[in-house]
Amino acid sequence: MNYILHILVIAGIYIILTLSLNLLVGYTGLPALGHIAFACIGAYVSALLALRLGISPWLGLPIGAVVAGLLGLGVGYPSLRLKGDYLALATFGLGLIVYAVAKNWVELTRGPMGLPGIPRFDLFGWQISQVWAYLILVTVFALVTIVFIGRIVKAPIGRVLRAVRDDEIAAQALGKDTRKHKLMAFVIGAFFAGIAGVLYAHYITFIDPSSFTVMESITVLLMVIFGGMASIPGSILGAVILVVLPEALRFLGLPSSIAAQVRQMLYGALLVIFMIWRPKGLLGKYRMG
Amino acid sequence: MILQLFVNGLIAGAIYALIALGFSVIYKTVRFFHFAHGAVYAIGAYAAYGVISILPSGWGVGGWFVAVPAGIILGAAAGVGLDRGIYRPLRDRKASNLILLLASFGVFIFIQNLIALIFGSQILTLRSSVVREGWHVLGAVITPIQVLIIAASIVTFGLCWWIVAKTRLGRAIRAVADDSVGASVCGIDPERTIMWAFLIGSALAGVAGILISLETNLEPTMGFNAVLKGIIASIIGGIGSIGGALFGGVFLGLVENLGIAFIPAGWKDAIAFGLLIIFLLLRPQGIFGKKK
Repeated sequence: MNYILHILVIAGIYIILTLSLNLLVGYTGLPALGHIAFACIGAYVSALLALRLGISPWLGLPIGAVVAGLLGLGVGYPSLRLKGDYLALATFGLGLIVYAVAKNWVELTRGPMGLPGIPRFDLFGWQISQVWAYLILVTVFALVTIVFIGRIVKAPIGRVLRAVRDDEIAAQALGKDTRKHKLMAFVIGAFFAGIAGVLYAHYITFIDPSSFTVMESITVLLMVIFGGMASIPGSILGAVILVVLPEALRFLGLPSSIAAQVRQMLYGALLVIFMIWRPKGLLGKYRMG
Repeated sequence: MILQLFVNGLIAGAIYALIALGFSVIYKTVRFFHFAHGAVYAIGAYAAYGVISILPSGWGVGGWFVAVPAGIILGAAAGVGLDRGIYRPLRDRKASNLILLLASFGVFIFIQNLIALIFGSQILTLRSSVVREGWHVLGAVITPIQVLIIAASIVTFGLCWWIVAKTRLGRAIRAVADDSVGASVCGIDPERTIMWAFLIGSALAGVAGILISLETNLEPTMGFNAVLKGIIASIIGGIGSIGGALFGGVFLGLVENLGIAFIPAGWKDAIAFGLLIIFLLLRPQGIFGKKK
């Protein structure tokens, strides 16, 4: 039972990540390949605040998310000058730099040794250590993300974001500040990814750089594409299926190291298959590029 | 100390330049970032390893005369196979560069994990029989393998320059690079030319993979950093240019290795990614490239 709840918690965290990336990739047409870097920042900021200064995760959560949002401003900057595959490569490089910092700034992050013993969330003196309780917490945040991003994309702002995606010059001609909107998409996307990172850190209670590799960024991107570009139900579907599906490998009796490799092969193959036959994804409304 | 870092930088640079060269020859004709070039590089190295480990030990040095061509041929075949099986259907669907790049990531992830599944994810070594003490040159140590790497790079670059600049095939590659439709009007088959570009570029990746596994080790993830460094080197030198690949590779190798005279070695990759961002933002056409 706890195992199923645990999978659902992980799926909930991925829903937040996938939705926040879909805002960038699907709705605004910005191919961001380093999304996990924002979760990494959120996780490290909140974990370090809790471990070094004894600050509650409830305060660490908004701080982590805001710091991730600020990083989004920096990572978004190339989007003002680059497009398409060049922008993808630049955001990919920036994601790798964040990973390199987490790994090499040993004095702060303890590098590959990671940060153990991250405290859990508590509620009126009661520690949220049961998985079911954490599932409720993650569900609340996932719902907040769904509602918030759902509102943004339906609001006039969302129309501008889609206009930036479909025809940036036309949007400029209509007097829209496309630079501002692109950066805004990055900041909001990074903010929510930061929340996902904080939720992850205080759930697993241990983080190290290996949780935030490029492979994770590509996995989240695959979830966006699989479920559907510019589709909120799509992102939920994509995150849930791609978290649950590989778990089936466990039941085939594969040893965990082999199961991890088979899972990644599955992800790689899915990425190729979707790029060839259905680049907009299952429920997608927008075809990339 | 500085001289040793310089030598190390030169050797790393020679390898980066070889990867960048293969990448550039392919990029010239297809115009997208073939990230799976790194997987082809790993295939070359692992194929050579596989042959050496299958051959009876009595073969000794003779085994290399089988293993090296096997690695190069398998690398070339893998590159052509990827183009035919995956990139060509995408081209037929008029896929954008971005879609091709993402598909290429998918291929890369698939192959990297397939290699891990077959050979295991531990570090393997190819150099057992060939380790020899290095020569001392002006206070720096250089091993015979490292001399071989530099020599092989120079020869390969010469050969490649000759193919692209002087042969019929090279003219076809340049024509397709300039204007694929125009080339086909003149009787050049773009698909055939692209196939040759993948063949040559992927063979070069195989060579680079084998050379690096003599110098260091093999691991399934080896292709990731390799292709990234190759792409960064290409962009620094001006993507699609042969001279640019050579310059970019050596430049990147030297900057990385001389950089660690000032900051800890763990930051080497961060230096390279930093260069990538700087060039993408300030000079995406590279040092020698012309502005579009």
